[in-house]
Amino acid sequence: MSGLAESTEQVMFLDPAIRNWVLFPITVIMVLVGVFRHQLTILMTGEPPKPDIRDIRQAKALIRGQILAQSNSYIPLSSFTERKKFLCSAFEEGEYLKNKNAKDQSPVNLMADPKNMEVMMDGMKKQMMGIVPQTLIMGWIQFFFSGFILIKLPFPLGLRFKQMLQSGIMTPNMDVKWVSSLSWYFINLFGLRGVFSLILGGENSADGIRDMTAMGSMGAMGQQSGQPQDYNKLFMAMKDNLSIVYHEWDLANIEQRVFVKYGKQSRVFTSAAK
Amino acid sequence: MSSSLELLAEIRQSSERRPFAVLKLAEPLLNTRGVSRAGDDAWLVYEQVFVSAIDEGQIELAKAVLVILRTRFPSSQRVKRLYGMINEAVGHPDEAKTIYKEMLEADETNILASKRLIALLKSYGHIGETVKQLVAYLDIHNNDFEAWLELSNLYLTQNLYPQAAFCMEEVIMQQPANHYFHLCYAEISYSMGNFDLALKEYLRVVELSTDNVRGFYGIKLVADRIRDIRAKPKRDQNARIDDAPQPATLDRLSQLATERLVAAYNGANDTCKKTAEEWLKA
Repeated sequence: MSGLAESTEQVMFLDPAIRNWVLFPITVIMVLVGVFRHQLTILMTGEPPKPDIRDIRQAKALIRGQILAQSNSYIPLSSFTERKKFLCSAFEEGEYLKNKNAKDQSPVNLMADPKNMEVMMDGMKKQMMGIVPQTLIMGWIQFFFSGFILIKLPFPLGLRFKQMLQSGIMTPNMDVKWVSSLSWYFINLFGLRGVFSLILGGENSADGIRDMTAMGSMGAMGQQSGQPQDYNKLFMAMKDNLSIVYHEWDLANIEQRVFVKYGKQSRVFTSAAK
Repeated sequence: MSSSLELLAEIRQSSERRPFAVLKLAEPLLNTRGVSRAGDDAWLVYEQVFVSAIDEGQIELAKAVLVILRTRFPSSQRVKRLYGMINEAVGHPDEAKTIYKEMLEADETNILASKRLIALLKSYGHIGETVKQLVAYLDIHNNDFEAWLELSNLYLTQNLYPQAAFCMEEVIMQQPANHYFHLCYAEISYSMGNFDLALKEYLRVVELSTDNVRGFYGIKLVADRIRDIRAKPKRDQNARIDDAPQPATLDRLSQLATERLVAAYNGANDTCKKTAEEWLKA
């Protein structure tokens, strides 16, 4: 019969033994496991694959096209046209492609490329290192520390959270503020990031959240990362991009702008008077 | 002790070339083995000391540091390049060249080796070879604007203005807001005879960097030159003034330039001021 008018806090006394034997151990274990994971990842990460010089050339040629498309307003029209012609014909000919001869073939199956295998294996290993400890700890907590409440949250939550945070304790009336040890695990997961950056320095592999986002995006990215970049198509696209760029020289009305800057006139918008 | 390490780190960060300062800071560290306190940074300090030592001509010190580095990193390409540098420093260019070529054969993408090779060729005056290597390097790494800048300077030493202008354009595309690059480009255009382009670029300099004296001098010179060319019926073959502004605008620009220059010299001492005013009146 707890009506809505009632606003008394539910007061419960928790055995201090709970604090000693559950609260601290969970935190300590999580910190230790995080550090352990970090060190293990460092040991296991192989050397990043050495890029082939032709790959670099390919990639940078594309960047060159991008820079031209972006910053063309800073150079005069003649220079821009010159470069545009050169790059477009180069892209057309496949000048910058890794295998000029294989220009028209379909992209090579990624699986067959041994170098890429290593990269993928490395990525997968990292994922494993992330997921396995988390699952283990969660299971361990569920097994040992279920069936009792651990702490009281200082802020109120909606009733929906009751199921997640009080798993294992079926009471209809208990405030959502009282939570079980699993929720303490989640709190630690998010909170220990700061502690890890203090201990392990900025880039550390003990980040629980990073693993969760990685897991989420893995599904979406799974299909995409399988294809190697088809540079021929990219070059063609860049060539089309460049051919439709409308060159507007930034310095066309610079005289007006300088006069305005030094207070000789207020802004004149049309470029009628040169 | 630790403040020396911090200062050395700062110098590393800003990539300044201050061999005397570095050696002075590092000497007590090396003598009292305080370098070990830097932990992992110690190797960076050793590398820094090495480069400063060969800059200052202290070859023995450089050799000692090199031995330490070699013991720690026996198969490192970075240390190998230091061997190349010390060979350059004592005047054995062929050994250095061999070392760099070996590094490039082992790994084509090694930027350190490519750059050192180019620097070696330049320091020995083989400009043609240098330009060739630099162009090959830029064919691959075309977003290295400092390399484009270097190439532009090399072309200028040979008075190849159109090529130099091309390189400056590449630099400007990558760093459009840096007024100094526009200034270089303006001066190259002026030397080539592209007066209309030079005027626009000088104006850009003055827009980006208020009261830039060099910029205003450029504006005044170009505006006057264009006026002269228009006045004389027989035109200079190389001069391009097709896009130049109307005479009225030119006069206004020249006036503005004179005004700003006078203002700039106001703070200077008397002889400077007098010379400037005389020149400006002419």
